Amino acid sequence: MKSCDLVIIGAGSVGLPLAWNCAAKGLKVIVLEKEASWGRGQNRAAIGGIRATHSDPAKIRICRESIAIVSSLKAEKGFDVEWRAGGYLYVAYDEEREAAFRKLLLIQKSVGLDIDWVNSDRVAALAPGIETRSLRGGTFSPGDGYASPLMTASCFHKLGMDKGVDFRFGESVGSIRLECGKIVSIKTNRDEYGAPLFVNAAGAEAADIAGLIGADLPVHPDCHEAGVTEPVERFMEPMIVDIRPDNESGNYYFYQANTGQVVFCITPRPQVWGMDKDNTSNFLPLCASRMLELYPRLRNLKVRRTWRGMYPMTPDGFPIVGYLREAENFLQAVGMCGQGFMLGPGLGKILSEAILGGSRPSKPEGSTEYGFVFEELQAYRKFDGMELLK
Amino acid sequence: MNRITSHPIVSPPDGRREVGFSFDGQIHRGYEGEAISSALAAAGVSALSSHAKDGAPQGIFCANGQCSQCTIIVDGLARKACVTPLAEGMDLRGLKGLPRLPEASAAFGGAGKRRICADVLVVGGGPAGLAATVELAKLGLSVVLADDKASLGGKLVLQTHKFFGSEADCYAGTRGFDIAKKLESEVRALPQVTVLANSPVVGVYKDRVAGIYVDYRRYVLVEFRAILVAAGAREKSVLFPGNGLPGVYGAGAFQTMVNRDLVRPARRVLIVGSGNVGLIAAYHALQAGIEVAGIVEILDKVNGYEVHADKIVRMGVPIHLRTSVISVEGEGRVERATIARVDEKWRPLLDTARTYEVDTVLVAAGLSSCDELYRQALDFGFLAITAGDAEEIAEASSAIFGGRISALSLARMLGQKVELDESWLSKREVLRSKPGDRLSRDPVLPSASWEPVFSCREEIPCNPCTTVCPTKSIILKPRLGSIMDLPYYTGRDCKGCAACVAACPGLAVTLVRRIDERWSEVMLAWEFLVDFAPGKLLPLLDKEGTFLEEAELLKKTYFKRPRTTVLTLKVSASNATRASGIRVQDEAATASLPEARLDLFPEEAILCRCERVSVAEIREYAEANEIRDWNQLKSIRVGMGACGSRTCSSLLPQLWRSMGRDAAAPLTLRPLSMEVSMGDLVNEGSATQAGASDASSGRGEP
Repeated sequence: MKSCDLVIIGAGSVGLPLAWNCAAKGLKVIVLEKEASWGRGQNRAAIGGIRATHSDPAKIRICRESIAIVSSLKAEKGFDVEWRAGGYLYVAYDEEREAAFRKLLLIQKSVGLDIDWVNSDRVAALAPGIETRSLRGGTFSPGDGYASPLMTASCFHKLGMDKGVDFRFGESVGSIRLECGKIVSIKTNRDEYGAPLFVNAAGAEAADIAGLIGADLPVHPDCHEAGVTEPVERFMEPMIVDIRPDNESGNYYFYQANTGQVVFCITPRPQVWGMDKDNTSNFLPLCASRMLELYPRLRNLKVRRTWRGMYPMTPDGFPIVGYLREAENFLQAVGMCGQGFMLGPGLGKILSEAILGGSRPSKPEGSTEYGFVFEELQAYRKFDGMELLK
Repeated sequence: MNRITSHPIVSPPDGRREVGFSFDGQIHRGYEGEAISSALAAAGVSALSSHAKDGAPQGIFCANGQCSQCTIIVDGLARKACVTPLAEGMDLRGLKGLPRLPEASAAFGGAGKRRICADVLVVGGGPAGLAATVELAKLGLSVVLADDKASLGGKLVLQTHKFFGSEADCYAGTRGFDIAKKLESEVRALPQVTVLANSPVVGVYKDRVAGIYVDYRRYVLVEFRAILVAAGAREKSVLFPGNGLPGVYGAGAFQTMVNRDLVRPARRVLIVGSGNVGLIAAYHALQAGIEVAGIVEILDKVNGYEVHADKIVRMGVPIHLRTSVISVEGEGRVERATIARVDEKWRPLLDTARTYEVDTVLVAAGLSSCDELYRQALDFGFLAITAGDAEEIAEASSAIFGGRISALSLARMLGQKVELDESWLSKREVLRSKPGDRLSRDPVLPSASWEPVFSCREEIPCNPCTTVCPTKSIILKPRLGSIMDLPYYTGRDCKGCAACVAACPGLAVTLVRRIDERWSEVMLAWEFLVDFAPGKLLPLLDKEGTFLEEAELLKKTYFKRPRTTVLTLKVSASNATRASGIRVQDEAATASLPEARLDLFPEEAILCRCERVSVAEIREYAEANEIRDWNQLKSIRVGMGACGSRTCSSLLPQLWRSMGRDAAAPLTLRPLSMEVSMGDLVNEGSATQAGASDASSGRGEP
C-alpha cells in the first residue's frame, strides 16, 4: 500500500489544479486517473469559457479566483494557456430576455461584478456582423474570457509534476475500504492507497465513486455536443451566449479562441441523460442554423471537428463541495454542471487552503474565510433552487 | 505553360474552354472546371501559400482532398485548390497567415434539411465500391454510392498502365482509366443506385446516419441500414528534413496532375519508395516527358513487381536500394535532394551521400487504409464492412473481387440468403498475393520462325499473354495452379502476331526470329510517343538496363485495344533474346552533382503537416513529458489541423519506434473528416425548395 497526505480521484479540470495547489503547499499528493493521461474526461470536451458572472456568491467567488489564476499563468508560470479576456456577451433579441438580464444585472452589480448593459451598437462593435434586426442589446462583462482547456490542463499537470504530485494514470478505483466512518484506503486495478484525506474529483463518474461507500450523490451527467471551426483572423471578441430556446435546443454559445478558431456548443432539448460520447447527426445542422440566424457572417466559416461530452449535473445546477456523512475524510468536489473548467482553478486554490487550514466535516472551510462557499455548495442542501445563468 | 499536349496513352479532353484567372495578381490561363491546383501547377506556381505558424511556403501534398495543404483564397474564401474547379475570372490568392472571414453580405437565408435513405451506403466509388454496388443492386437492395471525386473509378482514373490479373475476371491488359469507365457505366445504369459523385462522406453518426458533402456545396444526411466502406487508401507521408517544402508530394498527387489533368508539374523527379506505386509513377513520369533521377528504397530489395522495376530500369532509371533521402532543400521549393546508403539500422552512411538536382520529390512510401468511417460504424454497432484498399492494401484487380465478396457478406448481415460464388474467394486470394518466387528460365535460341521470349520470372497474378494468343501457344506452366504461374511457349504455332507483346502489362514479352547468321528481328512493346520512322536507330537495352546496340527500326504497328505500339527492330543475332527495351532517358538525367551538398542545413522533418509540427518539437515534448497517450501531443497541436490527424497518425508509431518507445494510445478520430462551412451544413437558402433532394432517384425523404 502506498501512503500519502492526500489522494485525489480524477486528473481533470478539478483534480489537476487541486493537486498542484496542495502539493505546492507541501502535501504529498497522489492522483488516481483511469484514463491514459490528464484531462481526458470532461476537460477535453469543455469549450473553454471562464466567467465570474454567475448568479450566486459562491460561484462568483470561485470563478474570480479562477480568472485571476488562469490569466496569470503566462506571466507567472510561463505557460500560454491561450487566455483572452474577451468578455461574455449575453444577447437579448426580445423583451423577455432583456427584462431577465436587467433583473439579474442588479444582483450581479450588487456583488461588485464588472458587468453592464450594452446597447445594440456596442454589441455590433464587439461582434461585427452579428444580426442587428430586433437586437435590443445585452449584458457584457469584459473581465470574463476564455482559455484552452487542453493547454490549461497540461499546464496544471506540469505544475503539479514539478511540485512532486504522483500521477497514477490508467488506474481505476475498484473499491474503497471504509472503517468506522473513515476511508482507510482506496484500491485500484494496480495498487492500494492510504491517506488521511481523500477527494472525489471524478467528474461524470463522481456518483459511482461515492456509491462505493454507499453514498447517494445527486450527480447525473447529461450529454452535450460541441464543435470547432477552422482558424480565421480575429473578427469577434466576446463569448456570445444566446439563451433563447427553440423546439430542439436551449441556449447555445460560441467564441473565437486565441488560435482563431470558433468553438461552439448547444444545449439539447430535451436534455440527453447519460454518458454517451458519440456524435449525432442532428447537432451540426441544428447548432449551425441557430448560429447563422444570430450571426450570418459565420456562413463561410468551416467546421473542422465535433465532439460530445458530459455535464455532471446536480438537481439545482450548482456544484457539490463538501463532506459526506458516510465518510468524514472524503471531500467531494463534484457536480460542476458543465463548469468544471472555469470552477476548477479557483476551487483548487480554495480547497487547498481549506485543507491546510484544517478542513473537516464540522468545519469544512478550515480556518479560512470560505465558509459561505461550503455552506452554499454542501452536499446536504435542499437542491430546490435553480441556477439562473447556467 | 506546363501542359502535356501529346501523350502516348491519354488524349487531352475535347472541347475544354480556356479561361483566365489571377494568382496573387498575376494573370494566367487554365481550363474551366479543372482542379485549381492543376491549373496553378500548369502555370508554374508551386508555392501556394505561407503557413500561419512560421511563414514557410506550402505546396500541394495529396492533391486528393485529404490533407488541406493546398488551401488558398478563392474569390475571398479559403478553399482547397485540389477539389475546387477553376472558373473564368477567378481571383486566387496565396494564404498568408490566417484567412479573413468575409463580412456578411446578407441575412441568414434559412436552413434546409436534406435527408435520404437507402439500404446500404457505399462509401467510395473505386473498383471495390463499384463492384460491391453492382452486387448489392442485383440483390434488390437500394444503394447510395458516394465518392469524393467527380469521376467514379477511384485511383483507376489515374492509372494509364495496363492491369495485371486475368482478362476474364478483372480486365487484365486493359488500362486502369478504361476499366473505370466500364465499371462506372455499369453502375450508373442501375435504377436502385443513387450515385453521388464529387461528394465526400464527412461523418458517420451514432443515429445510423452519415453526412455527405454533396458537390462540396450541400450537406445531405443519409439514413442507412448497413454501410460498406470502400474509401481506398491515403499515401503515407515520410519523415525527412525538407519534407514540408513545395515540390515534395505524393506519387498519387503526381499521377492526378499528370495522368488525369495532363499537367507537367515537374522537370525532374526523385522517387521515394519502390513499391508498385513508386515504380509506376516513374513510368508515368517518363511517358509525360519528365525525367526521373532515380528511385530510392530503404529495403535491400525492390518492393513492387519485378516486371515494373525492370521496365523502369531498362528505360534508364536507376533504383537505389538500401538508400534513403537524407535531405531535400531549396529556396522556396525543392531544388536538390541528397540521398545516402543506410546501414542495417537505417542510419545514413554520410560518405555515400549524393546530391541530385531535382525540382520534385515524390513520396511513394506505401498506403494506409482509409477505414476510419468503418471503425466508427463498428463502434456504433452498425452493420458494416470494408472492401478494397480500405480493407487491405492490394491491387485494384483484387479489390473488384473484394468488393463483390464484401457486398454479399453485408447482404447476409442484412438477412438476405445469398449464394457466394466460391471461386471469387480463391480468385481474390490469388489477385492480392504478394509476388511469389523468382524462377529461372532456359535461354531461348532464335530460330527462323517467330517465338515469344519472356523476361518475367517472378510469380505474380497475371495471364493476358495466354488469353490473347490466337493459337493458344502460350500456356501457364502449372506449379501453383493459379494465374500466379509463369507463362511459357508451347514451342509451336507462333504466328508472330504480337498480340502477347502488346497485351503484356509488364512489357515483358518480346517476339524474336532469326533472319540470317548475323541478324534477327525483335518485336517489343512501346508505350511512348512514336515520333520516329522506320530506318531510325534506337538505343537497345537488356533487362538490367545495359546498352546492347543501336538497333534499326523496321516497322511500327499500333494495337488499338491495348493502346500500345509494337516496334520491330533489326538486332544482331547475339543480342536478339537479350533485347528488352529502348532507353527513354539520357544518362545525364540520373547524374548526381560532382559533390554531395551536406553544407546546406535543411529544415527539420515535419510530422504534422497541417500545424507544421516538426519531429524535433515532438521529441522535445516527449522527453519533457511522459507520453502515454498521443492525444497529449495536441498540446503542441499535433493532429489539430484540417486533415483531422489523418496524415500524421500513421507517422507517430514510426517515430515512437525510432525513439525506442512503446506506442501510446491513439489520437481520437471524430467527425468531420473534411471541413464543411456552416452555410453548407444547413443548406442555406434551400428551404424554399422544400422536398427537393439532390438524390432524386433515392427513396426520397422520410
